[in-house]
Amino acid sequence: MDSGGSEVILSIKDVCKSFPGVKALDKVSIDVKRAMVHGIVGENGAGKSTLMKILSGVYEKDSGTVVFDGQQIEHTTPQQSMQRGLAIIYQELNLVNTMSVGENVLLGRFREMKGMRGTHAKARELLDRIGSKIGTTRLVSELSVSEKQMVEIAKALSFESKLIIMDEPSSSLTAEEMCELVKIIQQLKDQGISIIYISHKLDEIFEFCDNVSVMRDGRVIDTKPKSEFTRNELIMQMVGREIENEYPERPQRVGEVLMEVRSINTRKLHDVSFSLHKGEILGFVGLVGAGRTEIVRALFGADRVRGHQVLIEGKPTPILNPRDAIGAGFGFIPEDRKLQGLVLPFSVESNISMASFRKFTRLGFLRKSIEKEIGTRQVKALSVKTPSTKVPVVNLSGGNQQKCIVGRWLEISPSILIMDEPTKGIDVGAKYEIYMLMKDIAERGGAIILISSELPEVLNMSNRVLTVFEGRITGEFDPKVTSADKIMSAALGFDGECS
Amino acid sequence: MTVQGTNSAIRVGASILRDYLVLVMIAALVALTALIEPKFLSPENLTNIMFQFGPLMMVALGTTFVIIGGFIDLSIAGTINLVAVVTISLIQPMGQVPALLTGLATGTVCGALNSVLILSSGALTQAEALFMTFGLSTVYSAIALLYSHGSTMHFWDITASKSIFQAIGSGSLGFLSWSFVIFLISLAALWVFQEMTAEGRAVRLTGGNKTAARLAGVRISRSIVVIYAIGGFMAALGAIVLFSRVTTASPVIGVGYETNAILAVVVGGTTLKGGKGSVLRTVMGVLLVVLMSNCLNLLGVSTYLQVVAEGAILTFAIWLDNRKHM
Ligand SMILES: Nc1ncnc2c1ncn2[C@@H]1O[C@H](COP(=O)(O)OP(=O)(O)OP(=O)(O)O)[C@@H](O)[C@H]1O
Ligand SMILES: [Mg+2]
Repeated sequence: MDSGGSEVILSIKDVCKSFPGVKALDKVSIDVKRAMVHGIVGENGAGKSTLMKILSGVYEKDSGTVVFDGQQIEHTTPQQSMQRGLAIIYQELNLVNTMSVGENVLLGRFREMKGMRGTHAKARELLDRIGSKIGTTRLVSELSVSEKQMVEIAKALSFESKLIIMDEPSSSLTAEEMCELVKIIQQLKDQGISIIYISHKLDEIFEFCDNVSVMRDGRVIDTKPKSEFTRNELIMQMVGREIENEYPERPQRVGEVLMEVRSINTRKLHDVSFSLHKGEILGFVGLVGAGRTEIVRALFGADRVRGHQVLIEGKPTPILNPRDAIGAGFGFIPEDRKLQGLVLPFSVESNISMASFRKFTRLGFLRKSIEKEIGTRQVKALSVKTPSTKVPVVNLSGGNQQKCIVGRWLEISPSILIMDEPTKGIDVGAKYEIYMLMKDIAERGGAIILISSELPEVLNMSNRVLTVFEGRITGEFDPKVTSADKIMSAALGFDGECS
Repeated sequence: MTVQGTNSAIRVGASILRDYLVLVMIAALVALTALIEPKFLSPENLTNIMFQFGPLMMVALGTTFVIIGGFIDLSIAGTINLVAVVTISLIQPMGQVPALLTGLATGTVCGALNSVLILSSGALTQAEALFMTFGLSTVYSAIALLYSHGSTMHFWDITASKSIFQAIGSGSLGFLSWSFVIFLISLAALWVFQEMTAEGRAVRLTGGNKTAARLAGVRISRSIVVIYAIGGFMAALGAIVLFSRVTTASPVIGVGYETNAILAVVVGGTTLKGGKGSVLRTVMGVLLVVLMSNCLNLLGVSTYLQVVAEGAILTFAIWLDNRKHM
């Protein structure tokens, strides 16, 4: 390989990897250049995360070669690759919550740093390098997701990393936090560090990646400089077909009031009241921590909240726990799929069927053939990529896991579906399918409450938007006629229309 | 490609071996002991083993569900103490069938009481359950002591009929001992519960991820009551089999059963992390534990060393369990 002007830091050649029943990677070759941001895009289950886990040493490749910084890499472990200068930041961050920021940045090297003072001094220096002001003595458990990511990046820098892999870093960041990350990525680049950036958000890819590789079905379809791709071409290559619009039209037939919620009050929420109409998609817009999730959790009975009133079709409906809520026609897609959504070691099928016990039990006994039908039906409806409905859901790619949770609720055809970050980690094609399903629920007389940190998603899908700021509803807007700026300023605490 | 083939063959082999490690160890233990001490395979010793594993088996089968549900129960020892003295003392005044039923009910109530306290305090972690049930074990034992005035009660003090208990203790049906028949029936019932019922599935989901299960509408509180009630019921059954065999009931008769039951469950391969496991695995675990102690006895190893061995095996089994789920 010529080491000309644009030197190659990482060269992946013909790498293959199979799992039982799946060929996850099929002769994958990618070159990553020094001081460049290399974007990788592809459908859910295309093999992106698997490739990264091979690079970091979590998985062993079946065949092929990997050359990093002029050195051929075989049988590596995550520890060794870290030391070699290859760091990876997983979507599920890997920090010790009960320790301070400084201790996390220099985890396991307390002695080298000559004690606590040295640790904090070094951590400060590393955080300064990325322009972060997080106090090194703060506990990690108190940090926001983006701050945690900064800590991860500082940790990567502490190993003098030459390449930092970020696997869907933005899926839980707000727009402002994202700007911060972009700045840091730029700084890292200036310091000569290469970055592999995986994301389903094409805007980001076009904003700051230099080169882009598209993966599909375990293969690399194309690698080109970003400037040579158009957005449509990229989508086309990812999903193998043309997608004209990223969002379908909003539901058309908004009817009478389906549910009324009166004065939810908790330590965090103040007098939250709103109504929901039949056939409507209602969006909540706000910063992370504004209380959007708390509102829907209180409504669904997930948290112990008393004193508010819920009226469904005019009838007072007490909801004390999730089971009551489901009985009253609710469905709930929680924001954290690993902790709140899935039972990871369990099969795809039992994860999907979890909310529809009633359908496949008789006299207290399970009818497994019906359970299997349920699993198969939803796997097909959502095109979940899995070798069978019996495999543990933990083996699925991130986006496909999310689809299983969506399928769980579609199966019970809820009349009110609460979706908290429903498209987190889902590819462009599958997003569209989920939007269509949302629209379908609404048009059959149901309603949807949508929370998303992706503003375009809320604005393009909702019939009505409520802004939430510090536990209060600060405004109500029709996103069809209101500018995004105006809605955002209400969500940031400036005066809205109603209040 | 052939390298890859053998590689994966080795991997599959290793995982099968790990799954059946207990069976392999049981076979090895039997072979080894029989070689050193031919008496081991004598009919008397085999009958002895059959009687010996009865009580522990009952207790461990019940504990399996508590562990699959993601919890733990240390109150078993106390429950056994209480059930034993209560049941034996009631044979005379009430007659044997009511005494038997009262005993079983006492165990079930003790078990359910654990869960009620756990639920009402909101203690939903295994560690919290550990301390709480440990506390309750002391309470149940103290009640047993108060009730019996600290003395051991004997079968032969009883003039009323006690034929059921005698049968359980030493009678047999054909070539099977009654306690073995009770074991088979319990095993079948619990296996059906585990594999085929909705509640069995709910228990598993609760153990797998409480938060997710609750948000999907699974009644996790009910599952928690059910697992502890089953644990208590099976402990009571174990207590009855135990005192019927030894023909006495002291208020400390159950000491050590809780740890041995957990030992058997974990050695059998049910994970302490919850969600996974099976009563069939527990059967193997109990066999291993009982065979080992029988074998060590035959070899004349001191009781102290036996305790050391048990502790070491429990630690090793938990270590292995953790490695597997890393
Ligand atoms: N540990 C595993 N065991 C079995 N199959 C696996 C395992 N990990 C990944 N797979 C399979 O490999 C394929 C690629 O998965 P991978 O996680 O790399 O996808 P991805 O491109 O990262 O998708 P996403 O965008 O959804 O995160 C999927 O079909 C997945 O089911
Ligand atoms: Mg992935």
